[in-house]
Amino acid sequence: MKKILLGAALVGLFTGASVATYLLWPIETKARIFSNTKGNVQRGAYLARSSGCFGCHTNEKAKGPVLAGGGPLKTPFGTFYAPNITTHLEDGIGKWSLTDFSNALTHGKSPTGENYYPVFLYPNYTKLSNQDVADLWAAFKTVPPVANKVPAHELKFPFQYRFLLTAWKRLFFEHGEYEPNPKMSKQWNRGAFLATGPTHCVTCHSPKNLLGGIDNDRQLNGDVNGQNGEKIPAITATALSKNGWTKKDIVFALKTGSKPDGDAFGSSMGEVVRESTRFLTDADLNAIAEYVMSIENKDGKSIVKSPQ
Amino acid sequence: MIRTTNKLNLILGAVLLTGISGYAVNAFAHGGATGIVKERMDLMSNIGKAQKTLVAMFSGKEPYNIQKVQQAAKAIESHAGDRIPKLFPKGSTKMPSEALPAIWENWSEFQKLSQDLAIYAGALAINAGNKKGMMENSTMMGSGTMMGGGTMMGGGTMMGGSGTSAKEQVEMLSAMPPMASFQRLAQTCTACHTKFRLKKK
Repeated sequence: MKKILLGAALVGLFTGASVATYLLWPIETKARIFSNTKGNVQRGAYLARSSGCFGCHTNEKAKGPVLAGGGPLKTPFGTFYAPNITTHLEDGIGKWSLTDFSNALTHGKSPTGENYYPVFLYPNYTKLSNQDVADLWAAFKTVPPVANKVPAHELKFPFQYRFLLTAWKRLFFEHGEYEPNPKMSKQWNRGAFLATGPTHCVTCHSPKNLLGGIDNDRQLNGDVNGQNGEKIPAITATALSKNGWTKKDIVFALKTGSKPDGDAFGSSMGEVVRESTRFLTDADLNAIAEYVMSIENKDGKSIVKSPQ
Repeated sequence: MIRTTNKLNLILGAVLLTGISGYAVNAFAHGGATGIVKERMDLMSNIGKAQKTLVAMFSGKEPYNIQKVQQAAKAIESHAGDRIPKLFPKGSTKMPSEALPAIWENWSEFQKLSQDLAIYAGALAINAGNKKGMMENSTMMGSGTMMGGGTMMGGGTMMGGSGTSAKEQVEMLSAMPPMASFQRLAQTCTACHTKFRLKKK
């Protein structure tokens, strides 16, 4: 009897160790190549707005300097502080190269090879093209240096151990540029790129699993455990139509913060409009509306309506 | 005899209950708000009603009507300015109030937003008949230069940039399409709500 138990224990241990080893084995970084890519500052600035950099990396509440570091961001895993991303040499990213910048954005890896927490949305920013990354870099290089050190993250056990994020990445992160769906229109693909990529609507508006990964089967179905204790509403076509929203309403709300019922976005969405979506072109806003209105909720699952 | 009395009691009871519930619905509107909390919730509802009209017309869902825009804008103007801060005496956060303590921690900002609301609504009332142009896009405000007021990579919450006063902007707005006034009005609503109103939990 003892032998069987011992055998079972050893098998269990071996299996556990194998799984852990697999999950924590360093992930190969397929660094992007920028040899022939020249960045454009204006496009980069537009991308920075689309990507929501300003909202997290600025402490608006404390009227902190732009991009010099964010205020506390409370999540179920603890409180995060977005770092200073001005060109300051010590406190910011002044010492970074384009490769460092690219690895951070598209692989979630720091210049010293450490994992970033996915609260920094590299799972979305990975969808950026090389040109996008180069443009962003060009724009960020023009931000004047600002001295400001943000506090370290205050995380619950065991999330303070960055090496564990390798496992998270193996489970939930896939590197790669956005791949257009050939069955859908150009506008839909642009919307899909924005909503799942830089503008990352899906990140806040979808439920998460226990480890903070997005539940892709229920995309855009809302998140009752949103950041800072907010209840984030569903924005599938099903949910929106139920509340009387049309594509026009979505575009208008993203532009002005005003809703069809006459109320204004309060909560984080107000910030999103102010710091990000009000800068988007009409074409991009229409594309996002197109994408969002193509996601139907059928029996609790989110599916894309087939093109008409 | 007893039966009739019971019936009478039942009817009386039903009438009373209906009467009370009718009164109760009115007094306990807005989740049971009373007094000053209810007053300001009513005020916000009224602003919302006017704003709903404006949203419908500026988003193109309803045909643009100058008189309607002026009416709605004037309604909002009359509800803003000094009126809003007067309805927020210090510490009036009793349920079901959605007012955040941040209001009194940033009282001058709260007051300013209410003044801005009146100013932009007033501007819209004046400019409602201006020639309509395309929706003002924030991209038009700058060429992507960094750290400017209201431009792409910079700060500045309002369109005109962080250095421009509301009064200066009103002058600017008199030469611009009415949408420009509306956008500033809308941004003021959002600015106040994001900082000073309870978030949905």
